[in-house]
Amino acid sequence: MNEALAQAMQQVFLDPAVWGIVFLAACYGVFLGAMPGLTATMGVALFVPMTYWLEPVPALAAIVTMVACAIFAGDIPTTLVRIPGTPASAAYADDAYALARRGEAGRAMGTSLWFSVAGGLLGGLLLMLLGYQLARMAAWFSVTEYFWLYLMGLSCAVVVGRSGIARSLAGLTIGLLLSTVGLSAVHGQARFTFGHPELFQGINFIPAMIGLFGLSEVLRNTLQLDAAPMAASTTSGQGSILAPAVSLFRQRPLAWFRSSIVGSGIGILPGAGADMAAWVCVAISKRFSKSPETYGQGSTECIADACAGNSSSLAGAWIPALVFGIPGDSVTAIVIGVLYMKNLKPGPEIFAQQGTLVYSIYLIFLLANLVLLPVGWLAIKAGREVLRIPRRVLLPVILLFCIVGAFAVNGSSFDVGLMVAFGLLGVICERAQISIGALVLGLILGGPLEERFVQTLAGGQGSLIAFVNRPLAALLAGVCLVLWGSVAINTLRRHFATRNADSV
Amino acid sequence: MREPITFFRCTIILVLALAGCGRESRFPHQPITLICPWSAGGGTDRVSRQVAAQLEEELGVPVNVINATGGSGVTGHTRGARARPDGHTLAMITVELNMLHWRGLTSVTYRDFAPLQLLNRDSAALLVRADSPFTNLDELQAAIAAGPAKLKASGTAYGGIWHVALAGWLHARGLEPTAATWISINGAGPSLQELNAGGVDFVCCSLPEADAMLAGEQVRSLGVMAEKRVPGFEGVPTFREQGHEWSIAGWRGVAAPRDTPPERLAILAEAMQKVGQSGELATFMRNAGFNLSLAGPEEFAATLERQDEIFRVILTGPAFQSISGEHFGPMIFPAIIAGLLLLTLGSVAWQSRGQQAQRPREKTDLRPAIAVLAAALFYIVAAEWLGFVSCAALLVAGLLVVFRVRLVLALPLAALVTVAVYQVFAIGLRVPLPRGLLDW
Repeated sequence: MNEALAQAMQQVFLDPAVWGIVFLAACYGVFLGAMPGLTATMGVALFVPMTYWLEPVPALAAIVTMVACAIFAGDIPTTLVRIPGTPASAAYADDAYALARRGEAGRAMGTSLWFSVAGGLLGGLLLMLLGYQLARMAAWFSVTEYFWLYLMGLSCAVVVGRSGIARSLAGLTIGLLLSTVGLSAVHGQARFTFGHPELFQGINFIPAMIGLFGLSEVLRNTLQLDAAPMAASTTSGQGSILAPAVSLFRQRPLAWFRSSIVGSGIGILPGAGADMAAWVCVAISKRFSKSPETYGQGSTECIADACAGNSSSLAGAWIPALVFGIPGDSVTAIVIGVLYMKNLKPGPEIFAQQGTLVYSIYLIFLLANLVLLPVGWLAIKAGREVLRIPRRVLLPVILLFCIVGAFAVNGSSFDVGLMVAFGLLGVICERAQISIGALVLGLILGGPLEERFVQTLAGGQGSLIAFVNRPLAALLAGVCLVLWGSVAINTLRRHFATRNADSV
Repeated sequence: MREPITFFRCTIILVLALAGCGRESRFPHQPITLICPWSAGGGTDRVSRQVAAQLEEELGVPVNVINATGGSGVTGHTRGARARPDGHTLAMITVELNMLHWRGLTSVTYRDFAPLQLLNRDSAALLVRADSPFTNLDELQAAIAAGPAKLKASGTAYGGIWHVALAGWLHARGLEPTAATWISINGAGPSLQELNAGGVDFVCCSLPEADAMLAGEQVRSLGVMAEKRVPGFEGVPTFREQGHEWSIAGWRGVAAPRDTPPERLAILAEAMQKVGQSGELATFMRNAGFNLSLAGPEEFAATLERQDEIFRVILTGPAFQSISGEHFGPMIFPAIIAGLLLLTLGSVAWQSRGQQAQRPREKTDLRPAIAVLAAALFYIVAAEWLGFVSCAALLVAGLLVVFRVRLVLALPLAALVTVAVYQVFAIGLRVPLPRGLLDW
């Protein structure tokens, strides 16, 4: 075993201070993730002044743990009240909430917990072994490759839609169109702002998400105030937390592996994070599933694969941050700052000079996921009690949380209004069976997609050849075409099948 | 009926505990908000949070950073300038304040602020990949001049500080600012990634932003647009040393809205001066790779005025106007998407023809749903005046009553939830919830 790894193990596993801080950070992370509107980024930014008094390893331990735990905890409000705690949960919000309404909230959250932990462990391990080599591959990606990658992520949202391609595509394009409101990042010009300075910042996806999922659900529930609380339908705690996960592991041992590898791969690319990993994993999972028709209606397979994927992607974002000083997401941007404060400069030689530190970061990912098990289990136990509260008492409180959550992101009252507007849009989309999840993804990826589109066009002096004249770009374009082709063929086949059935 | 009574007691104790924090007349007597116009994790955010932590010690009240991001800095600067001028809202202002209004993106200028303290200045630098054929500025200039628009550059979005820096240099050398094609990429990090991937030929950004890749010898710097070499990057020659008279820098500083009372400005300026001159900030700036450069209110104001004139010349001159006209206009993408949306909506309508009639028309009581919307609107309208605590308590209590929950449960529950949310978000997580005119 190499020396740096041995030393890192000693620093991480034998130091009670690290254990203590990981435990506290896990509780804080679960809380942040479970509160709609509060993000891991915000929690980490608040924590930064405290890192001055900490040694590098405990300081990074706290950040790693917060992030790893927040991504799981985002599933708790998703399941219980249908407000995704993090954007990554939007990919399987329908499944988790459908299970909760059937009185199986415990099963949904248990699956999410076990597969988040499993994905996180595998992701951490993979990057510890291959991180440096993978970082070199990420350096091949130029704006053109990112364009195809984002397009692929968006296509996945269309593939997984359960009410037909047209309706998923409608959701997606509404989201994309709304993402163009505000000052265009790439042109520096205002669009659709109607002279309102608040609209210059564009539509922030967190208030939008809270409105689309949370507020629209509150509005829908007000129509059935007298219905029993969701938990009342089953007497014993809404399904076991452990058992369904074990049987899923046994039935599909390779699915977990597949999702974690895909998640890690996506995580390494700066600018493609946990939310995209979740969507891509759901799409792959549905493609290979034996029961694709249950997706979107309470499939634990879907939840399991998405959770393994988004959890494993987190460790990946640290690789470009450490090797090139290019942050993979907003959290690692803060981490780079913390590293500088500790006089540790990111760069390719960090693996040689600070090998112990790099190994420590990945060992902490493993430790954090292990600590998440008991903490997450307690959070699920506590969270389930929410479902016992009568609706007429619960709804006003959820409304307050929607408001505060929307406000907390940017400290802006305008965002509260935005949240209400999206709540109404959510109700309309729900009526028309337009996919809300795809809408959120369009809103998130619309900005980056347009930027890469215009950058590629500008780079190629307006020629469309620029989109495919790099080998890697051509390869990714090919993958996209195959994906669309297979979707189109499937749809046509189904269309003719039903038509033939009708005519018989 | 024991439960409501214990509820009630808890509530009274909590409410009294909160009310106990009496109001004081001296300034500052409530938390201060520092508006950062850039996102969490970036350089400006790091400086903001460091300053906030130190300012907190100087003033004895919490100083919370909020990131009002987007619009290339328009959002944050506008919110800072339009904030209630009572000294409890400060703004981190950046070089874009001198640029945005010349580009017609906002009416906010440096005159809307009372500057308190200039903190740092970082000069622009040109970077190429390690295997690039260029070794100095003259070679790069010759290549740009030889094949107009052949070479691609990036570093920030269109019209950002590093773009202006490059355009200004080309202009000073007698070249068209469009002689190098600017690829608009948001942020120095992604631009450097693009440089690494071979998508652009050179990048213009500050040296600290490229520190990791300079140290890893993946990129080289051809020169820095500063009067003298930058501490920590002594190996990088200045433009002047290579015979190119051109320097430009980005800066950051703290300011208050213009109409803040002078006696409060004096208190804030004194505290900011102490923060600026502290060894802690100096260490932070050195470690973070920022070039500490201090100036008090008068000197800062003079710098702002001078800089504004420099940017006026660059940004309103014919040279820059010519590159503002974009080839791939801002409406291409929305137009494509809108076309796609019309197509899909058409196909959805086609699919669902005839299904409308089948849906049974259910009779539902819409009043609770309308009450929820009304409550949310009430909050939006009233929160700024009434403050979060009273507004949220009214909202929850009102809705509970509309939903026919008994008063004896509704009132204490509303108070308890409100106080708990306030404690967690405003005090624990430092979200600056509205305090209202009653300051509570």
